[in-house]
Amino acid sequence: MSKARTYTYFPGCMIPYRLPHFELTMREVLKKLGVELETSPDHSCCPEPTTFTGVDFEAWVTIAARNVAVSESTGNDTVAMCSGCFHTLAVANHMVHEDQELRERINKRLKKSGLEVTGDHSVKNLLHVLHNDIGIEAIQKQVTNPLKQLKIAPHYGCHLVRPLEATNMDHAENPQWMDAIIRATGAEVAEFENKMACCGAPIMPADEQKSLTVTSKHLKHIKASGADAIVVLCPTCYTQMETQQGKVEAIAETEFNLPVLSLGELLALSMGLSEIVTENQRRYHRVKLTELLEKAGVGGA
Amino acid sequence: MTKNAVVIGAGLAGIQVSQQLTDLGITIHLIEKEPIIGGLSTYLGRVFPTGDCALCLDASNEMYDGHHRKCQYRGLVTEKKNLKLYTQSEVKSITEADSGFKISIKSEPRYVNLDRCVVCLECIDVCDVEVADEYALRGGTRKAIYRPIPQGVPHAPLIDLEHCTKCGKCVDVCKVNAIDLEEKESSKTINTDAVIIATGVEEKIPLDFPGYEYRTSDDIISHAELARMLDPTGDTNGVVTTSAGDVVSKVTMVLCVGSRDKTAFEYCSQACCTYSLKHAEMLRELGIDVTICYMDIRVPNHSFHYLESSIEKGVKFIRGKPDKVVVRSGKPVTVVEDTQSQKLMQIESDLVVLASPLAPLGIGNDPVSAFLGEYGFAQRVVKERKVYACGTATGPTDIPTSIAEANAVALRVYSDLKGGI
Amino acid sequence: MVTKDTMSSLEVRNWLLDQPEGETLLRCYQCGRCTSACPVADIEPSFNPRLFLQKILLSDELIAEEQLVWNCLTCEQCEVRCPEHVKIPHILILAKVRGLMKGNVPAAALDRARNILSIGRSLEVSSPMLKTREKMGLPDLGTPPMDQIVAMLVDIGIVGKIEKAESIYGGTENE
Repeated sequence: MSKARTYTYFPGCMIPYRLPHFELTMREVLKKLGVELETSPDHSCCPEPTTFTGVDFEAWVTIAARNVAVSESTGNDTVAMCSGCFHTLAVANHMVHEDQELRERINKRLKKSGLEVTGDHSVKNLLHVLHNDIGIEAIQKQVTNPLKQLKIAPHYGCHLVRPLEATNMDHAENPQWMDAIIRATGAEVAEFENKMACCGAPIMPADEQKSLTVTSKHLKHIKASGADAIVVLCPTCYTQMETQQGKVEAIAETEFNLPVLSLGELLALSMGLSEIVTENQRRYHRVKLTELLEKAGVGGA
Repeated sequence: MTKNAVVIGAGLAGIQVSQQLTDLGITIHLIEKEPIIGGLSTYLGRVFPTGDCALCLDASNEMYDGHHRKCQYRGLVTEKKNLKLYTQSEVKSITEADSGFKISIKSEPRYVNLDRCVVCLECIDVCDVEVADEYALRGGTRKAIYRPIPQGVPHAPLIDLEHCTKCGKCVDVCKVNAIDLEEKESSKTINTDAVIIATGVEEKIPLDFPGYEYRTSDDIISHAELARMLDPTGDTNGVVTTSAGDVVSKVTMVLCVGSRDKTAFEYCSQACCTYSLKHAEMLRELGIDVTICYMDIRVPNHSFHYLESSIEKGVKFIRGKPDKVVVRSGKPVTVVEDTQSQKLMQIESDLVVLASPLAPLGIGNDPVSAFLGEYGFAQRVVKERKVYACGTATGPTDIPTSIAEANAVALRVYSDLKGGI
Repeated sequence: MVTKDTMSSLEVRNWLLDQPEGETLLRCYQCGRCTSACPVADIEPSFNPRLFLQKILLSDELIAEEQLVWNCLTCEQCEVRCPEHVKIPHILILAKVRGLMKGNVPAAALDRARNILSIGRSLEVSSPMLKTREKMGLPDLGTPPMDQIVAMLVDIGIVGKIEKAESIYGGTENE
């Protein structure tokens, strides 16, 4: 195995404290792929990009740039598992890079704590790490349990991908990297209408009804594709489509029964790490995984 | 000594500038990459501002009464002594030499000798090969020996050797021995005093403009494609049909699909508003319901009557740029905000016609592209006393403006070449 | 520069147009593609991104009280499709900021902001959460240095502002 790559892991709030199985499975998968994650106690909430931005944008970009500065001081590239965190750090980093006035303003604030943000730091999400840094071939090599029976719908979500100039992703409307990773696990990629549709979560605080209506449209499209499950990176998308699926079903007046997996869980199932998935499934999954796990050849648990 | 010039591109502007200069005594070498001249206009039926039929006016001297613009009388081109036309030909290099240029061109074989052919067309009748016709939209076919359009100039057919079986039937039937299946490509070097770029534009097929599902449905088409259906000699005999073959009763048009768009082409394609209106009017005459989604209508003064008569004939206008045209239950649905009523509309129709951008063709040719500027368009005078451009090679526009520019450039070339003598 | 609640809408407009992202608003020709691309406009006819842009351009005072701006998903579909690449979601965010002192902010959004500015997390970290991490063998992430963060934000005045702010929004109590 090639030498370990080390990233500064930006944990955020949702994944480590609400949905730690995201972190657990992804850490194990990354370990197999020769990746090490380091954390820094100086990181705070990113802050989340859907509501805090609208409360005070200047505070948002300042705290975000501070988190980037903390990462910068570690000397490693940053990886965020959560799409919201990734978006916040990537956008702030890009803004600081592009806008000299902003950079100077923020660095004046950071000076008190001895930090500096340059805008040149590399902020990555898991697709950058898995698809670009590690590569599909290396992932395939670790697949011991190809998930040939499964048809998986990739849900990229908005904040992971947009805006391209900050996220450095491949395409704003038809991204491909998660598709390639899903294929590497042996599973089939489900094709569905409106691939980049929003999960609906960002307007939960403002209007639950509309929020869930947006979700229901998306789930209908995915269901129509015959997918066995949705795969996500973002814990907010997960909460909206998985945890709230019952409420969405009530609004849509249909039963979806669509399991949602984190990308870490899917990879774990394919790499013989199914135990960490089955151990935690009851606690974190409201939609039962029984059928899915059978199809994945790892039995119920 | 007689001065000469090379005109690259025999679209309407190239034809016009060649006609004017030959009339003024300049010798012209007119180079065209297609087998017939006329460029984009060979796809169109009626043209602005008079609604003349661009396809039918081609013919000959006899029809030309001296008052019409010469560009559409393509027959003239083949009948002038000081005008040498090279079809199926491409410029390979342009090098400066002495006071002018050495231009080398390569010509593909036509396999039919233009001097011998009497256009009896018996060769086409005996040909057994049938392939899809590039000029047809609804499944029309042509033979391996064919004429792209009946009114094409030169009138003689050509052979598409890729599909030809070399059975020899056409050779046998030809009474004037005009067909030579073994004809080879040829090269030529022309010494010239000036170069005129008239490479024109193409209608950019909207394959990759996000939102408009041109790729997925044959009921979402471009204007050149609609023009082919409106052509009485086309494969639908002038009937506008859906991909399923039904006669269309409702058409939605979308303007600025890819023009004035930072994602595609930043510039305004200038002519699409007018030809959309022209087509809308023609569709109304066929009793077809027409809705046009627009941002703003940009019609030049000389074509303003198209707007007035479209309104008069009941064309519906919605001010708004549609986000998408999607196919639902087999029909194209246009999703647009009517910005005047602020209503989000979902317009179902039988056919959606996209006004796609006019993109420069010159950039496809290396020696020519060296003379092009922003977006792939040229200045009218690229190089003082040497290289000129006219027509849509200088930027997208309509035919009247193109022709006016060709006339102006012709005079400029003439005075530069003959001036002071 | 930081938005002050004393700014008039004209000042806010001019300030916005001075921002690199806000400047893109000058390119808007009101074609309406944003609205026809918007998944919220699709289900809520009164949500119209194009009209928000128009109101900002015209310095309409009502934008500060426009509750509907909080219906923006920030999904950026409008920006992806905008022929002029106007940074619409970013501009709507700046319009939201304008409403804070008028209480135009969902209660849950305000709660989150208060969490972030007091404990450095968007949610309260409970001891069962920490125990779960321990059981899973996941490392302790420590506590964000709040003194440092709050000190850094002094010139923005956000901490004082959100203490005073009161949501008149209602909205959904989530989570």
